[in-house]
Amino acid sequence: MSVGFIGAGQLAHALVKGFTAAGVIATHRITASSPDTDLPTVLGLRKMGVNLTTSNKETVNKSDVLFLAVKPHIIPFVLDEIGPDIEDRHLIVSCAAGVTISSIEKKLLQYRSAPKVMRCMTNTPVVVKEGATVYATGTHAEVEDGKLLEQLMASVGFCTEVEEDLIDAVTGLSGSGPAYAFTALDALADGGVKMGLPRRLAVRLGAQALLGAAKMLLESEQHPGQLKDNVCSPGGATIHALHFLESGGFRSLLINAVEASCIRTRELQYLADQERISPAAIKKTTLDKVKSGLSLFNNRGSGLKKKN
Amino acid sequence: MSVGFIGAGQLAHALVRGFTAAGVIATHKITASSPDTDLPTVQQLRKLGVNFTTSNKETVSRTDVLFLAVKPHIIPFVLDEIGPDIEDRHLIVSCAAGVRISSIEKKLQQYRTSPKVIRCMTNTPVVVREGATVYATGSYADVEDGKLLEQLMASVGYCTEVEEDLIDAVTGLSGSGPAYAFTAVDALADGGVKMGLNRRLAVRLGAQALLGAARMLLDSEQHPGQLKDNVCSPGGATIHALHVMESGGFRSLLINAVEASCVRTRELQYLADQEKISPAAIKKTTLDQVLQQPGVTPDAVGVRSRGISMFNSSSSSSRTKKK
Repeated sequence: MSVGFIGAGQLAHALVKGFTAAGVIATHRITASSPDTDLPTVLGLRKMGVNLTTSNKETVNKSDVLFLAVKPHIIPFVLDEIGPDIEDRHLIVSCAAGVTISSIEKKLLQYRSAPKVMRCMTNTPVVVKEGATVYATGTHAEVEDGKLLEQLMASVGFCTEVEEDLIDAVTGLSGSGPAYAFTALDALADGGVKMGLPRRLAVRLGAQALLGAAKMLLESEQHPGQLKDNVCSPGGATIHALHFLESGGFRSLLINAVEASCIRTRELQYLADQERISPAAIKKTTLDKVKSGLSLFNNRGSGLKKKN
Repeated sequence: MSVGFIGAGQLAHALVRGFTAAGVIATHKITASSPDTDLPTVQQLRKLGVNFTTSNKETVSRTDVLFLAVKPHIIPFVLDEIGPDIEDRHLIVSCAAGVRISSIEKKLQQYRTSPKVIRCMTNTPVVVREGATVYATGSYADVEDGKLLEQLMASVGYCTEVEEDLIDAVTGLSGSGPAYAFTAVDALADGGVKMGLNRRLAVRLGAQALLGAARMLLDSEQHPGQLKDNVCSPGGATIHALHVMESGGFRSLLINAVEASCVRTRELQYLADQEKISPAAIKKTTLDQVLQQPGVTPDAVGVRSRGISMFNSSSSSSRTKKK
């Protein structure tokens, strides 16, 4: 089985690093393509032994499982480009936030009667094999296709199948979740430094505390509130700290964050569905390399930049 | 080497579970003591195969490395009780928040010239072997003693030596840290449920996202801010979410939390140092049970007044109960 990536950015790089660390696939069986060869991730992929090319068609020819790892607004162009080359064996896995299975199937049905499409939402910690992934299967994908994808993604973290209508909520929670955690860790370290710890130790302890707590929760049947209670001795330091968090609406900020990310994902999906992407919305250089020499793309209109 | 725990509560239980999972010590070489045999953790320790007793003196005589895993305000009583039984071989490791090495050494020096004392601050994720521990060595503990403790604690997570004056800050950060994380996951799951996920999946995804991010940071040389940048695509969902967090002062709340926990730890330490513990400050049952031990006299544990009637009146007043 060969795996291909359309797009050689953060996501492709993270997945390849995870897959190879897990040993589920050898790097020489992985191909990745991107028009931009200057990306740092491209160099990283090369170093890992991945076959790199600037031709998306080549990636399609050399793989069986094809990950679409490009920004959502690029998806339609990619599908038009590779549509004619899709074969029966191909399993198309879109990782693009907010892009519906039906929109992908609609595009590919111009070229093929039963394109096998799956949609997944993962996150960057796949790079350390602690990702969180959900997937939904398209109309023509079979149970075995789902199992194959699940095997791949389970090698780099948690993976489960869901109904497609839940994926935007998952984006808001575990898709964006690492960013919430990095922000929290930065702040916790600031707190430690304020109280006298050297920065390096503060970052280390903060990250270790979050990791340990998350692991406890994953391995426990208990409610997070119960685990929180267990750590709060009467009149002690921890409950004093928690009061500050609650007073400031800590919980509410996190609910707001999940909601905001989910809503923005749906918004981007809606804009994409309207299929009226202004040229200015697409990064000039990327589109130039995808479709060469259209004069429209030479004027730098500002317009509404719709990107994920 | 045998390990003993004075106290058989959450901390002792978490450490024993971690140590045995890591295989650094066999359970039959562990002893734990507590006057209260009804604690759920006591039953769990028994199930793990730990030697359990109600006698602290028995724990002392059977062990080499002795963890003091009781609440800070109990420490002085325990030290007075076991002081006479400490031998040269004993390494006393205090896990009590805010209790200084000097106060422990001072107590023990009534009985022994060079008591080997180490102070450590750990946290509950030792139970899944992902703890965060720091320790400071006392005047008479050798380098080997520090290494021994470090070996034990490193088997259940991260462990490093620090100067003692940093330990209160560590308490605020990684000591209390898991509680911040549990609260965060509860809230994240609420967010997921609000947007349509079932609770179980929401909790799972929230915890996994935190775990993965923390692991990425630990394995990376990059700044947390850089890792955050890497996840925020232009105009995308994540940066929208981050904006609402920043608008609400998310970072500041966490700095406040670390500070509050640290400040409270120092406050408790100050109260303890004053050595004026009112009888009402100590849970009646605990003290009664300690007093019931053979060979333990009220004077020996420094109960200043027998004031039994005071314990029987359930006056609320300012109960300076401590962590």
